[in-house]
Amino acid sequence: MESIEINTLRNVEDKPALFSKKGGELQISGPSLVELLRAVLDKGVPFRFRAKGFSMNPFIKDGDVITIFPLQGSRPRLGDVVAFTHPSTGGIAVHRVVGKKGSYFSIRGDNLPGGNETVSYKNLLGFVRNLERNGKNVFFGLGPERRLIALSSRSSILPYLLSPIWRLIRPFFKR
Amino acid sequence: MTATINHYASYVPSEEIVAREIEGELIIVPLVSGIGDMEDELFTLNETGRAIWDRLDGQRRLKDVVDELVQEFDADEGEIEEDVIGLLEELLKRKMVVEVK
Repeated sequence: MESIEINTLRNVEDKPALFSKKGGELQISGPSLVELLRAVLDKGVPFRFRAKGFSMNPFIKDGDVITIFPLQGSRPRLGDVVAFTHPSTGGIAVHRVVGKKGSYFSIRGDNLPGGNETVSYKNLLGFVRNLERNGKNVFFGLGPERRLIALSSRSSILPYLLSPIWRLIRPFFKR
Repeated sequence: MTATINHYASYVPSEEIVAREIEGELIIVPLVSGIGDMEDELFTLNETGRAIWDRLDGQRRLKDVVDELVQEFDADEGEIEEDVIGLLEELLKRKMVVEVK
């Protein structure tokens, strides 16, 4: 990971830098990350950061870099992957929309056998539209197959289907 | 390219950044490239840098910023001025602050 210290002063080795580039170094999470993400998205600009966790395996893996795009008034479709403020932790979660009713969305991690979470539109942060792994863009089920993934997830069979199916189809989806 | 610094001008954070204090540290995310990039383009200021940043409010002239810091900190005026100008050059180069016209 690139990490440079910009010495804005003189070429004095032991003088601390006033201004440092720390992309990829800072561990920002929870409500602090939500605040930063919201501030960027509110300006209509996407936000790129490293995802943590296993709830969206195998589509999104721990350490993948995701880019979240602002909603800008759009409503997610069935199967879209969204970032939202988790109702209990206040942090960011990234899961798939498996159902909609009015202003509420049923959302679930692809790798979670448990129940859906109900999230209101105001708690949605943005769409996950790009995923990078080892510096390359990767497929994560946002094409026409997203509906099938969402329906399988809603009926709790997705985690059981995914492993064998994923092994078979993965080579065809590599970009 | 070095930005031209005007001691009698005022400077203010650009609209093309997001700055937030997180756990006591000022985090600056530039948006000029069209993306907020926590992986590659995220900056922080140390305590001295923060003292300068907080005074770039569009009201104080650069000269006033230096004068205030000389009063507040036990350091040589020339050194403080050099710090202020050095930081401002970096911030201007990255379009994180703009001169108030």
